[in-house]
Amino acid sequence: MTKKYETEAPGYTMTTVMEEAARCLLCHDAPCSKACPADTDPARFIRSVRFNNVKGAAETIRENNALGAICARVCPTEKYCELACSRTGIDCPIDIGGIQRYVTDFEQAAKMDILKQGKSNGHHIAIVGSGPAGLQVATTMLTKGYAVDIYEKAEKAGGYLTYGIPEYRLPNDIVEYEIKRIVNLGANIHYNTTVGKDIMMDELKANNDAVVIAVGASESKVLPMFADNENVETAVGFLARVKEAKGNITDLPENAVVVGGGDVAMDVATTLRRLNVKNVTDMAYEEFDEFKASKKELKGTREAGVTIVDGYVPTAVNGNEVTFKHRHIDSEMTIKSDKIILAVGQRVNAANLGITIDKNEEVPYAGYGTADPKVFVTGDIAQGDKTVVWAVRKGKEVAEQMDKMIMGSAKEADLVGGNE
Amino acid sequence: MIKKDLSVDFLGVHFENPFLLSSSPVGNCYEMCAKAFDEGWAGVAFKTIGPKHFKVDEVSPRFDELTKEGTPFVGFKNMEQIAEHSLEDNLHDLKKLKENYPTKIIIASIMGTNEQDWEELAQLVTEAKADMIEMNLSCPQMTSHEMGSDVGTNPELVKKYCAAVRRGTDLPILAKMTPNITDMVPAAKASLDGGADGIATINTVKSIANLDIDRKTALPTVDGKGSISGFSGKAVKPIALRFIQQLREAAGMEQLPISGIGGIETWQDAAEFLLLGATTLQVTTSVMQYGYRIVEDMKNGLMHYMEEQGVDHLSDIIGVANKSIVPVESLNRDYKVYPKIDWDKCIGCGRCYISCFDGAHQAIQWNEEARRPTVDTDKCVGCHLCNLVCPVGAISTGEVVMKPGREGNPEDIKVESPRLTHF
Repeated sequence: MTKKYETEAPGYTMTTVMEEAARCLLCHDAPCSKACPADTDPARFIRSVRFNNVKGAAETIRENNALGAICARVCPTEKYCELACSRTGIDCPIDIGGIQRYVTDFEQAAKMDILKQGKSNGHHIAIVGSGPAGLQVATTMLTKGYAVDIYEKAEKAGGYLTYGIPEYRLPNDIVEYEIKRIVNLGANIHYNTTVGKDIMMDELKANNDAVVIAVGASESKVLPMFADNENVETAVGFLARVKEAKGNITDLPENAVVVGGGDVAMDVATTLRRLNVKNVTDMAYEEFDEFKASKKELKGTREAGVTIVDGYVPTAVNGNEVTFKHRHIDSEMTIKSDKIILAVGQRVNAANLGITIDKNEEVPYAGYGTADPKVFVTGDIAQGDKTVVWAVRKGKEVAEQMDKMIMGSAKEADLVGGNE
Repeated sequence: MIKKDLSVDFLGVHFENPFLLSSSPVGNCYEMCAKAFDEGWAGVAFKTIGPKHFKVDEVSPRFDELTKEGTPFVGFKNMEQIAEHSLEDNLHDLKKLKENYPTKIIIASIMGTNEQDWEELAQLVTEAKADMIEMNLSCPQMTSHEMGSDVGTNPELVKKYCAAVRRGTDLPILAKMTPNITDMVPAAKASLDGGADGIATINTVKSIANLDIDRKTALPTVDGKGSISGFSGKAVKPIALRFIQQLREAAGMEQLPISGIGGIETWQDAAEFLLLGATTLQVTTSVMQYGYRIVEDMKNGLMHYMEEQGVDHLSDIIGVANKSIVPVESLNRDYKVYPKIDWDKCIGCGRCYISCFDGAHQAIQWNEEARRPTVDTDKCVGCHLCNLVCPVGAISTGEVVMKPGREGNPEDIKVESPRLTHF
């Protein structure tokens, strides 16, 4: 019964990917290549596909992005490269994500090992958290020759990639393969290890040239009115449970209400439908013209048969009955359901990490530094967007900054040594 | 990014890779060649330099394209002749290119109307420090019949002019051959007898690509009239490959140095020319369509191909296909190979059924209910038209059987490797 949950939409074949690549106009100064937060160069890799050089296309993607196969699947391309695409002047943009998926699947099938570990430079860094930002930091630093230890509180690496995004959108095999590449590059991952509890920041700082905190916002927020309600589950908890069990969970409700209007809410609602829950209603705070979820996600959710009601906020709860009011018009509705799942945002748990997180669930300043020159932040807790592609960008940027800091002080140390 | 040595040695000259701009509109001045070098081309056959007394006077417009369904530039028709810049400017550009790009290879393409022209031009470009001379004996749209393909189809003239160029230079000489000839071997031999060191081929194929069916003349239409002129691009690749193979199979020319030209735009095209014996590769049409940047994927793709083939030098693949291309009468006709249909891939379009009935041997049976084809092995001759028309690659080579009364073990037969485009 979990086939609908487990099965990813089919990708391109060699013939169909060429048809799609042939639609690309191969623009001069291509706008798509200036629109990616992670600096992906779609114009370059689509051109390689167009000229039958899929291996070259894979190099272009992989050398820039440790999570190329993941971004291909989950990136809201409609907001970036595909929004910029010149083909829109004729009909619709090139399916850049789809072509990237073909290329990275080819890379995997051909067992290409594109990234190489840099020659050891004798320096060590530690990363707290193995979500997308942490994985990108690890990759960049490993290619530069650093020794990298990653501390992960969970049993598996990947954070929300492993425990959040549903199987039909991001198969676990893909996540595992991407992580395996990074482990093969030399990353040393310590599983079931919570920094601040099992190992302290002071120890990491003492043993490394730099420590980067990439813990992300891993816990669901719970609106006070829903606290301690046995009918309520958090989105993060639900998605993790389903993904770990590959959809084989037994306590499915007959019907459910999902609260929230972001991609996570869409994932929860669609997952419920794909697991054959008959009536799923999503109540969103935002109205459709200001919707948070990507168009692709919204479309998928509608196609899955979810009833989406926009512009409503929960005002009262009584057991399994929730009352919602519209934010602007005089309208109220009460829904009784077997299960209420909250997808109303996530919270950072940065206990004992020595950093301040403000009410926006990020550090209260721009950039990646902290009060301690050896400690950096990145990923969702750094200011900026909270998507995978932004995690990759932030991972690359903090890696460059750390490298500069470490190499700078190494040089200084050399100079001091030289003077003596 | 993969790194492999793509360098080749050709007529005693070292090229960092085999990719050159062919003598054409794409290498018409210093700035163009400089940009191409910066983007990774190893050299240029600079647009053909003619004698001072020949005045170039071009028409407008001067190009046309052959399309098929939605695909542009299947072939390209061109009416441009040789360089329109002055002899002084051209020589100046050659010199400056060599000065500023000493590791890139400058091939001076020249064309005269008589022995004196050829000899003088050879001297001038040698003084301008070109690395090599290419004799344009093959442009099919010259306004003088003492120039171009009218010369290249005449072995006596070819030999005479090659000898003239040999008198004018010590540089290696390439003779650029026309495909507008039944057999290229006599002209190629004549050029070698005259003093050329290698062959560049093919130049463009005489053509009318399309008509202006309202004005009732050939495209491009110039004041209500059109002309026959040279055709190039992907569509002429099969013709180029055929001529190159025929040159390399001629007695005494098995090691003939060749600069291959004709429809090259991907690394596979490049690999095909190399396998048939070309050492350097010249490109124009795909550069006109897409720009110099196409060299990036040709170089990178060729490196990946070398990696897959386990070779470290391109010289290890040059000409290795020549010996396995044989006269049709020498092919093994003792067996046939049936098509194999993959039911999981088949989408039930029926294109194989139509093509087999209308274009082959009525050997595919069509189940109307299930919308699925099956092969009738009594009627099937193993032609594999079905394989080529299938849009999803569901048809491949299947069981091999010996024809009745023929000797042989089907397991020893080497069938076609899977066509990559079909996956």
